[in-house]
Amino acid sequence: MTIDIKKVLLLGGGPTNIGHENELDAAAFERLMALKKTGAKIIYVDDNAFSVTTEEIQPANVYVQEVSFQNVVTIIDKEHPDAIMATTGGLNGMQIAWQLAESGILASNNITLLGIKPADLRKVMDNQKLRDTLTEINEKVIASKIVADDDEAMDFVREVGFPVIVKPMSSSHDTSRFICNNTDELEDALDVSFKRTYIKRCSIEQSIVGYKEIEMVGIRDANGNKILISGMEDMDPIGIHSGDSIIFAPTQTLINEEYQALRTATFRIMDSLNITGTCHVQFAQSRTDSNYFVTKVSPFFTRNTILAAKATGYPLTYVSSFLELGYNLTEIKLPSRYSKFLAFMEPTMDHVVVKIPLWPFRDITDVDQHLNTLMKSVGSTIGIGRTVEEAIIKSMHSSQFSPRDILPSVSTVDDDDVINQLIHPLASRILILMEALHRGFSIDELSELTQIDRFYFYKLNQLLRAQDFVVNNPLSPQSIEIGHKYGFGDGMLAELWKVNISKIQQMNENYKNHVTYKAIEPSAGEFLECTNVFYSSYELENESRPFTEKSALVIGRGGNQLGPNSAADYYTSQILRSLHKCGYKTIIMNTNPNAVSLTPQLSDKQYIEPIQLGNILNIIELEKPDVVILPGNRHYLSKQLKQFKALNIIVLPPDQKIATYNQKKATTAVDLFIEGNEILPVTTISFVGKDQLTDLRFINDYKEPMDNWESDEDKLIANASKNIDTHEWQGLVQVLYNTNGDSKYEMTGIRPVRITETAFLTKTTGINWINVLVRKYLGKLDMVSLREDWQPTEHKRSAIMTAHFPFRELQSGRSEGTTKQEVGSSLSFKNFE
Amino acid sequence: MGKIILDKMAMQRALTRITYEIVEKNKGVEDLVLIGIKTRGIFLANRIADRLQQLENVSIPVGELDITNYRDDIEHDAMSSDVKMSNNKINFSIEGKRVILVDDVLYTGRTVRAALSAVMDLGRPKSINLAVLVDRGHRELPIRADFVGKNIPSSQKEKIKVYVSEIDDKDAVELIK
Amino acid sequence: MTERYLILEDGSAYAGKAFGSLATTTGEIVANSTMNGYQEIISNQIYHNQIIVFTQSSIGNTGLDQNAYESILPSAKGVIVREYENLATDHFKRISLDRYLKQHKIPGIYDVDTREIRHHLQRRGNMKASIVDVADDHAFDQLHATVLTNQQVAQVATPKPFPNPDEGANVVVVDFGLKSGILRELSHRDCNVTVVPWNFSSAQILDLDPDGIVLSTGPGSPANLPNSVLDMITDVQSQAPLFAIGLGHELFALANGAKITKLTVEHHGSNHPIREIITNEIFFSGQEQGYAVDPKSIDHAKLFITHVDLVNGTVQGLRHRDYPAFSVQFSPDGAPGPKDSVGLFDDFVEIMARRRDSNDDRY
Repeated sequence: MTIDIKKVLLLGGGPTNIGHENELDAAAFERLMALKKTGAKIIYVDDNAFSVTTEEIQPANVYVQEVSFQNVVTIIDKEHPDAIMATTGGLNGMQIAWQLAESGILASNNITLLGIKPADLRKVMDNQKLRDTLTEINEKVIASKIVADDDEAMDFVREVGFPVIVKPMSSSHDTSRFICNNTDELEDALDVSFKRTYIKRCSIEQSIVGYKEIEMVGIRDANGNKILISGMEDMDPIGIHSGDSIIFAPTQTLINEEYQALRTATFRIMDSLNITGTCHVQFAQSRTDSNYFVTKVSPFFTRNTILAAKATGYPLTYVSSFLELGYNLTEIKLPSRYSKFLAFMEPTMDHVVVKIPLWPFRDITDVDQHLNTLMKSVGSTIGIGRTVEEAIIKSMHSSQFSPRDILPSVSTVDDDDVINQLIHPLASRILILMEALHRGFSIDELSELTQIDRFYFYKLNQLLRAQDFVVNNPLSPQSIEIGHKYGFGDGMLAELWKVNISKIQQMNENYKNHVTYKAIEPSAGEFLECTNVFYSSYELENESRPFTEKSALVIGRGGNQLGPNSAADYYTSQILRSLHKCGYKTIIMNTNPNAVSLTPQLSDKQYIEPIQLGNILNIIELEKPDVVILPGNRHYLSKQLKQFKALNIIVLPPDQKIATYNQKKATTAVDLFIEGNEILPVTTISFVGKDQLTDLRFINDYKEPMDNWESDEDKLIANASKNIDTHEWQGLVQVLYNTNGDSKYEMTGIRPVRITETAFLTKTTGINWINVLVRKYLGKLDMVSLREDWQPTEHKRSAIMTAHFPFRELQSGRSEGTTKQEVGSSLSFKNFE
Repeated sequence: MGKIILDKMAMQRALTRITYEIVEKNKGVEDLVLIGIKTRGIFLANRIADRLQQLENVSIPVGELDITNYRDDIEHDAMSSDVKMSNNKINFSIEGKRVILVDDVLYTGRTVRAALSAVMDLGRPKSINLAVLVDRGHRELPIRADFVGKNIPSSQKEKIKVYVSEIDDKDAVELIK
Repeated sequence: MTERYLILEDGSAYAGKAFGSLATTTGEIVANSTMNGYQEIISNQIYHNQIIVFTQSSIGNTGLDQNAYESILPSAKGVIVREYENLATDHFKRISLDRYLKQHKIPGIYDVDTREIRHHLQRRGNMKASIVDVADDHAFDQLHATVLTNQQVAQVATPKPFPNPDEGANVVVVDFGLKSGILRELSHRDCNVTVVPWNFSSAQILDLDPDGIVLSTGPGSPANLPNSVLDMITDVQSQAPLFAIGLGHELFALANGAKITKLTVEHHGSNHPIREIITNEIFFSGQEQGYAVDPKSIDHAKLFITHVDLVNGTVQGLRHRDYPAFSVQFSPDGAPGPKDSVGLFDDFVEIMARRRDSNDDRY
């Protein structure tokens, strides 16, 4: 029984931040593709400045506004949608849905909440109700209690036993937690905690620190049919936020009985909440017996929901869209690339996926860098291999931001510090684990200190042994074989042996060590036809066939960090679309599971491979692309790739090294597009820094058009056009000016328009400048129609892009940040009177 | 606080098993009609009918019986049958049919006795069988069910509550102390 | 690390590294795509005379658990996997995979492209294979010359009856190569179980006064068993509730006039949705099947088709119209595989209880 929907309001995820990156935009994008098939009119609200989804919807149906309760209410009043899809809005979206339900707005406007009924939503969002619901279906939750004095606390402990965690109740951002193993520690903790809370209440809960954290993602239809998409295992124990943990898919250290119990529990929870769509459930699994607790229930899109889909190749977002609309699993037809696979087959994997988080500590140094219950990572990368070791090493070199193919060494850390970091892990967690093994710590000892299952140490140990062998036997065929087997790319071998990569390639040729690509598909090889997503492995059968048509390879940006990364993902996605429109078969290479640029609809083929020279060259060797596009300023990589003269490489935006400007003095800019000797003015921008700073590194807001545009814009554009040398500058170029607001402008430099601002220009001017750039460098630009489409000085509204910083999430006292510390940006428009 | 004795899955399976047993006992579905007793028995009867439809591809008539006026524990004035039957929806003849009465809980047997009277007032069926989701014991009348989902021995102080998703937004049987 | 070979009847040879026993063996090669429970799979007697290819890339990670054996003396002929971890970790996992395979003389090969082998088998169908030291003509000659026994049930089933006492319903389990998961589920439900040999007659079974009878799983083709087994089934199915699983299901079908076909590619996994026809619901379960009931051969006056596999259309469940006798092709005990359908054991116990109730006069 499907729900008949004419108009649906889809909630966006908002700007990237700690807790969510581009996965919500990716989910909304995929969902849109599914919804279009139903013929429903789609209204979308999101202020993420780098949203790909908003580009795909009629501008009239997009509300570029903060995804907030108030804004959604206003939109409902205007649009009268008959349904709301909130799951793509993440937790924020669900909270808004809850407010809409509780305030009676859904009922009075006759709006259906898709995915979960309001009564069931309350069971999830209200913590006490969730506990009651889970208890009623015999699922265990961690016991907790609010206590007002020591006696109440002792009563509680007598019931549940030590260890317990004590937290003061306060409205401020105090996140101190005390783990107590005995009465003395408890008394001390209560003493301190009661002093910190003005309402004289503490929360006390059963401690499960050290338990395994297991995550399950399932889907359910209105008929009650359920599929488990994937189980995932956090390598790090409970006590380290799952978002900061290294995650393995499939689960590695659960026996069948334990795994099936959690699967069944997930299904019972989904049944008790009547979910139609996706649900992510987290569990704490005891290491010594079959006991487990349910720790979190998320019936909406989360990072790990998306990871489950990426890991298995199951089209989760697509399918769940139809489930939310009331379709049964048996009624959903998959896109043709899935061949014989059916929406209601349970995914099964024949590879291993490892996700490693990325932390912002290089750019924000003055915060507590320990990994604990507070999430701090801003992105992640995945490594996929046929063996656990291969997946680990690939994810590790994907997580290195240097494109050089070696892993950083932590051998200078002293023994005490190693022990300290084993107990109180930092971002270098996995390197420290390897270093400790290297120094001869026993596996039992390490497992005891870290609460990490011994299995992982066995695997890391094998990696170390392989590395030793490879280092000690340079340039031997056996070393290459072992290196390949354990996931060391050719680039890594070249670095370890200090030889040019071509030497290794030559050896591969001689010994016939050819890389093979395996499909990531949900049937583990049951069907011979494969999907279009691949990873590498050195085995017998290669499943990736090069295109016979002309093709283009786009080298993705990898995991999100601070700085222009979500903008780069948007940029990359637009490049893919442009290439497609220009008639190329598009191939993307990326490692960020949350990237929009990896959504299946955006390219013809996807490789999930480390963005490293060796891996890139292997793909180029197989695919022989007509053009390779490298988005973003990656000097090392572009230099390396340019060594290979036969490659047609386009770096976008073009290398900034020719830029000359005074970064401390810029308030205003004129953006120009230059093709040959023709200059097309794009628009003008005002930079707004904190406290009137004119430093380009401290810009918070970008405004288009510039301040005082009515009086000053024309003359500034004329000046910029006059000062540009078209022999030297091509494409999108920014001429910088400094002013005190007195209509006097001093030119302070010229630079290519950066990725972030190119995205901004595309959003504000209505011309896709990324598409224009791609066409320009492919020699396919039609200047006549561009000139017709673009009327530069007609400003009807002002656009503002505001940078967001993760200072509050990281508990940093800072308020002003540099462009390198941006985590995301929001966009807003204001019409001129 | 209630304790779930049958969850959704168990309830579904119990109804499935009852359906198979009905076919088994009646050697098919010929002349079969289902009559659900008041609120929840009606939904259960419908679910059994859905199952028979799936299994045998036949549509079995389902009637609805409100036996409030037949209860011997409720005092009422002498009424005509017309008044008594006012809340029933049985749009088929039961003459010569194999009637399956469906109820959620079998307890003292008084409800079933009333239902039997009501059905007999409608005509002369070939046979009447009783299907219940739960038999909790403590019979006060010589009545037994032919098809039982689950025997749940209970004390008289306890209560058995059956939830059906059609009206209760969940499927479950709870024992309430 | 010794290099050894997996050779197939069609002439293919795969070089890999040895683990477990170094025996040279021959069996039918099958791929299993279940992601958990390598221990349950290897120890299941259904794999008698078979070489198991795991599509799950890594096994052995959790050692061997005392509570998860599906038989005491496993009789698989080999284990093929991409990688294995030889771990015997904490207190309830004391034996490692390598040690276990050595104990039971089962050879293993790792470091082979199991995904390619899976594709190969999907293309070419079932065939014989050997695990050998050298992949030469002699090895292939041996492979071609080997005739696999058709007396699999007799080789793995118990020759003598034995009890598994408890205080609940009296259940007779007819052993065709029983997996322990069935006993475990009956034990959870307090059944007083007697396991009897596959060739027990109906009289011998009924003499035990069963409340219910289980026909167990087992290896090979049901056609290899004598007609006396089918006679036993037709006799007992009218006398006591009957639950048949796997090979038992195939025999139940044969006894009621249906025919059995051999699948061109055996299906071993838990990813196929199974539809329960009466409710239209789908669920998942461990499936290990080389044979299937031919739906066209079913006498609908006698049997209901209760379950079907939605991917390959095979019959997955039957029920007799006249008696409380039902069967499933898959393994509802979830060892390994999802426990979505473990409630079938509750049904069976409930049917036995109802029958007992209706035989006494307590109301």
